[in-house]
Amino acid sequence: MEFATAFRHAGVAAPELIPARSWAAIGGGSCGRRAGRSLIVLNPTRDAWVRRAVPAVRSVIAAEKLTPSASKGAGTGPVQLFVGLPLDAVSNCNTINHARAIAIGLRALKLLGVDGVELPVWWGIVQPDLSTSGAGNWSSYLALAGLVLEAGLRLRVSLNLHSSETPAIPLPRWISRIIEANPDILCAGRSGLRCRDCLSFAVDELPVLDGRTPIKVYEDFFLSFRSAFSELFGNTVTDISVGLGPNGELRYPSSQQLAGRRRPDAIGEFQCYDKYMLADLKKHAEESGNPLWGLGGPHDAPEYNQAPDSSGFFRENGGSWQTPYGDFFLSWYSEQLLLHGDRLLSVASKVFDDLPVRLSAKVPLLHYWHRSRSRPAELISGFYNTEGRDGYEAIANMFSRNSVTMIVPGLDLADGDERQELLSSPELLLSQIMTACKRHRVRVSGENSLLSRDGFYRIKKHLLSENSQVESYTHQRMGAHFFSPEHFPLFTEFVRSFALPELDADDMVSDEERKMTLPNHAASGNDREMQAV
Amino acid sequence: MGSTTFGNETSWLYPYKSNLYFFALLILLLLLLAYYVGIYYVFSQDYAIETPLKRSSTVEGQALYEVRINYDSSNPVAAMNFVLKEEETGAWFQHKGRDFRIPLMNNLQQYAGNEAQRQSFSIWQGSLNQLSNFLMKHDVSDFEDQENNSNIHQILMKDYYEEYSVIKAEFAQNSLTVTVKSGGANKMLVYFDTDVPGDVTIHWGVCKDKNIRWELPSAPFPPSTRIFRQKALQTALQPKADGSGSWGLFSLEQEIQGVLFVLKLNEYTWLNNKGTDFYIPLTNVISFSSQSCTDCISEDQLSSKEKDIREDQQQLVDKNQTIHQVLYTDEIISGIRNLVTDISSVRGKKAKSREAQESILQEIEKLAAEAYSIFRSSSPAFLEESILESDQTKISGNVSSGTGSGYEILCQGFNWESHKSGRWYCELKPKVVELASLGFTIIWLPPPTESVSPEGYMPKDLYNLNSRYGSMEELKDLVKGFHAVEIKVLGDAVLNHRCAHYQNANGIWNIFGGHLNWDDRAIVADDPHFQGRGNKSSGDNFHAAPNIDHSQDFVRKDLKEWLCWLRKEVGYDGWRLDFVRGFWGGYVGDYLEASEPYFAVGEYWDSLSYKYGEMEFNQDAHRQRIIDWINATNGTAGAFDVTTKGILHTALEKCEYWRLSDEKGKPAGVVGWWPSRAVTFIENHDTGSTQGHWRFPSGKEMQGYAYILTHPGTPAVFYDHIFSHYQQEISKLISIRRRCNIHCRSMVKITKAEKDVYAAEIDEKVAVKIGPGYYEPLSDSHDWVLAAEGYEYKLWEAS
Repeated sequence: MEFATAFRHAGVAAPELIPARSWAAIGGGSCGRRAGRSLIVLNPTRDAWVRRAVPAVRSVIAAEKLTPSASKGAGTGPVQLFVGLPLDAVSNCNTINHARAIAIGLRALKLLGVDGVELPVWWGIVQPDLSTSGAGNWSSYLALAGLVLEAGLRLRVSLNLHSSETPAIPLPRWISRIIEANPDILCAGRSGLRCRDCLSFAVDELPVLDGRTPIKVYEDFFLSFRSAFSELFGNTVTDISVGLGPNGELRYPSSQQLAGRRRPDAIGEFQCYDKYMLADLKKHAEESGNPLWGLGGPHDAPEYNQAPDSSGFFRENGGSWQTPYGDFFLSWYSEQLLLHGDRLLSVASKVFDDLPVRLSAKVPLLHYWHRSRSRPAELISGFYNTEGRDGYEAIANMFSRNSVTMIVPGLDLADGDERQELLSSPELLLSQIMTACKRHRVRVSGENSLLSRDGFYRIKKHLLSENSQVESYTHQRMGAHFFSPEHFPLFTEFVRSFALPELDADDMVSDEERKMTLPNHAASGNDREMQAV
Repeated sequence: MGSTTFGNETSWLYPYKSNLYFFALLILLLLLLAYYVGIYYVFSQDYAIETPLKRSSTVEGQALYEVRINYDSSNPVAAMNFVLKEEETGAWFQHKGRDFRIPLMNNLQQYAGNEAQRQSFSIWQGSLNQLSNFLMKHDVSDFEDQENNSNIHQILMKDYYEEYSVIKAEFAQNSLTVTVKSGGANKMLVYFDTDVPGDVTIHWGVCKDKNIRWELPSAPFPPSTRIFRQKALQTALQPKADGSGSWGLFSLEQEIQGVLFVLKLNEYTWLNNKGTDFYIPLTNVISFSSQSCTDCISEDQLSSKEKDIREDQQQLVDKNQTIHQVLYTDEIISGIRNLVTDISSVRGKKAKSREAQESILQEIEKLAAEAYSIFRSSSPAFLEESILESDQTKISGNVSSGTGSGYEILCQGFNWESHKSGRWYCELKPKVVELASLGFTIIWLPPPTESVSPEGYMPKDLYNLNSRYGSMEELKDLVKGFHAVEIKVLGDAVLNHRCAHYQNANGIWNIFGGHLNWDDRAIVADDPHFQGRGNKSSGDNFHAAPNIDHSQDFVRKDLKEWLCWLRKEVGYDGWRLDFVRGFWGGYVGDYLEASEPYFAVGEYWDSLSYKYGEMEFNQDAHRQRIIDWINATNGTAGAFDVTTKGILHTALEKCEYWRLSDEKGKPAGVVGWWPSRAVTFIENHDTGSTQGHWRFPSGKEMQGYAYILTHPGTPAVFYDHIFSHYQQEISKLISIRRRCNIHCRSMVKITKAEKDVYAAEIDEKVAVKIGPGYYEPLSDSHDWVLAAEGYEYKLWEAS
């Protein structure tokens, strides 16, 4: 472990030097989940303590060479901190954007003691055109990975299979051409509007892409990534995250941003109106003995720019969601999402199975309307999670089956900040997801949703809480605002205070110890750092 | 602030002599820098006299000021109190926050007691004096001589001599001049000249191609230069012979495209160009001078850059002030520095560990500042679809308190009756989503403080935010609600006047209570109603309440703290500043710099020019007064465009639409001269609502909105109009404004300004006409599609 390295360098002779009772206070929540191992606990804690005592020094001297530590199954280290690189770090013409700013930013992060960065990789940029070999143009991403390696940071790669509006990153051109010919491979809502974010989940295993199935195409993309980055796994690339849908999240693209303004309380439309979804629904309805239920989605669901309570489906009491039809439809609809996630994650597991990397995937935090009984925002996105029915059990189970870490955003959100009229509750929803993950022993990696001032306090609370399951945290994301005077000092404080939970004067190491923990390495390391540039 | 501030020590001498009948008080003032100081002393009764000090003699090149006060010792006066005031700046000097006090006769025991107390101060005097060197607060520490004290004890009335040192911190305004000229033989000479005191190091590099990238020039380098990490040079400037600054002369090859630099004053203080590097382009062959050379002597072949003149003036002011403005880098540094202090204070005082930590943190903050400036300036290389996106990022990078993002649409979220229910905040809450969907980006909420009048414009205890509009908690909740839909919130800050809590001895209400328990020194002296002891007002007086004297340091400090508290506690994003005619705009600039609002707008409302009861066509004087005020705030605030409203009144009422175009064919209000700072409106709680002091021509409101919502400037829509039968039409106009990306600096071309019709094209995207007359936009360059129409107005969009 790198902390062990730091520890050796730091030269603390023996854990006995540090008063034992300080563990409880210093270790705080992050040790709590390891409680129960009594004596052995001292080891990771001690490492953690050194990390806390000299976070900046650690970053300079510690990982001189990163140890391939974070293989699967390893795991109870302190929370790993990552920062997301800009979404447009590689432009849609496959050149590096803000290269200098990123290089400088990486050094700042390294010095600060951040563990690594997250690199968003876009399918549409790497493989814009169909090539029989399945190869893609990875040069810019490899160059960025080189910068990260040079900075001595770790890399979490997110493989994004969707398109993005801001910044504008389309799906691969060859996919777009196929879409032109057969728009039904895109999800569609009742109004017929198609979402260009990602392909319909119903075509996953149909040979709609020039004779290949989307799953096969995704697999080829994964393989292409694997061969391009083959030398970086384990030492630099320690995590791979697979995009499961729009915005990289496991969900239907139900609430796509429409042109023009959108009501803040609108939730979108059910995405079951492409030809393939409808066919599947029809088949499913016939099998269940109610062929009439398979003729389309719910007729009384709201349209894109309507509030959920504007029509009958989501009505709190006596809405169609509570009827047998509602249950039939929602079960099917959520099952399709689950199957899609399962298919992609199995393929990813297969491709990356033997690598010393962790696999992860992201779920959305659909906190609007969570306090209502029907929870329309969750239902319409494919999470059959109503009052009295836990939709996240099945999701967690699916992640567990594939040994995939669940990325949960929104650690910075608090109920108090949300709009009461939208019955939003990020906190309740987070705790529901966490509970499901705990039950299914799914590892959790956290993210923020906004770069807000108040967020840090809450994130810290999540990460350091007694029963936190969050093993790593990715702060989204680097850019002008990230480094701005409004944000960066807070982030610095966050990283450092996180590494150094409020210490009582009592819990301080004595002067002698401090001499040992802060040796000249600091200065010399710094010099070397400066000359290297 | 670091070394940008320098302190002047001033010593005071107070010998006094006595004879049988008279005391003569001689107060001598020794100044390191000569400035005029008045002395303000108070006899132990209730009044004070202001007496200027006279320059008496010069000792060793230092001016000496004195005042002699003859005083009849037969009067039963216990002591003389005084404070000093610097005439030029209005700064007050006190003794440890209290008046100076010279004990006089008949009070010997008490005085002896005082002396003993004073002696105790002198124990830690030495170090305090040094420490306080950089304190911004004017503070006076006393130097006491043991011998003198004993003299006083023994001799009592005979001789009294005491020496105080007065410490004065000053903002310095410095400039840096860069001059470039051809040095022959393929060389260029770059001459740096600055009046920044002390050691100045130029941290510089050159650009060899069009990419503005730091590179090293080829050797030889100027003397006393060191290479910084192979990518920049650090050259110490040489002090000028007269000690008034320093200079440096660099010789560079002709091929070099430009010079990038920042100034380094010491380890902690870097000066840059508002967050980015200074850049001097050297192209266009010969020579070039730009940046902050307001008064650089023209060298031969010197040219200077010309931009939009008004904005440029603005920038020049900005640049000159870079040096005393809080810089981005400085902010980061201080942010992290506080952190370091926190960490290290916990850690104990071990210097070494702190140094190691701090050097790393310094490195981090420097890197972060650099990354920030690059991210802010770099526009990503995208293909065609994304052009819009990068446009938008550019916009958001340009936020300043005078303009917000430049795309703001303001909503005045109350009227004169809003206080009546006692729960306005709760009543507005359900409308939040609706206001967001109408397209507003900023809402202006009513004044939040406890107030003598229910509408809130007679504030009393500034820290009590329970008002007739609701409780502080309800206000915070409402602000949160607006933030959730990404609407910024302006607080209505009444800074001109404040109602007192208590009466003074004469029965005048001029003593304040609450958290800010100011006395009558906080009130301007020239309003006889309130018997203020402050300075004269720096603006017009509002006669219904004591006008606050903003020249007082303690007042300004308290108000800054209050605004920052409001920002933090309530979550306000900015300010609507009430009655800013009442005090100097420079103070507003000061407050805005301290409270860093996202947007700020001032109410500078005075009368337009009329002749024989008819409004004059030329309202330049009127708009100039508003622009002067904006200028005084250094452009940090916008102002309501009262001129435009006034002209619209006459134009619409009398069907004189020609008034809307000035002599130069520009819009006739503030919006024609300084659009980015003009907040256009047609009605507010004073002019309309139930007060109706200056109501917009009835029934023609939509023409007004068709004008302001299509024109540059930041339009403000009044609550009463939003929730009226006009809502649909207003909503449509706002959505057209947003769709066409019209912003506060959009270009307007007036195509018709006649008796019965006014028409203009904005950014070549929207055409508008108001008035009963006929107009159709010419379709030579665009095809115009009718986008909205109503009573006597029409809008077209270019297709």
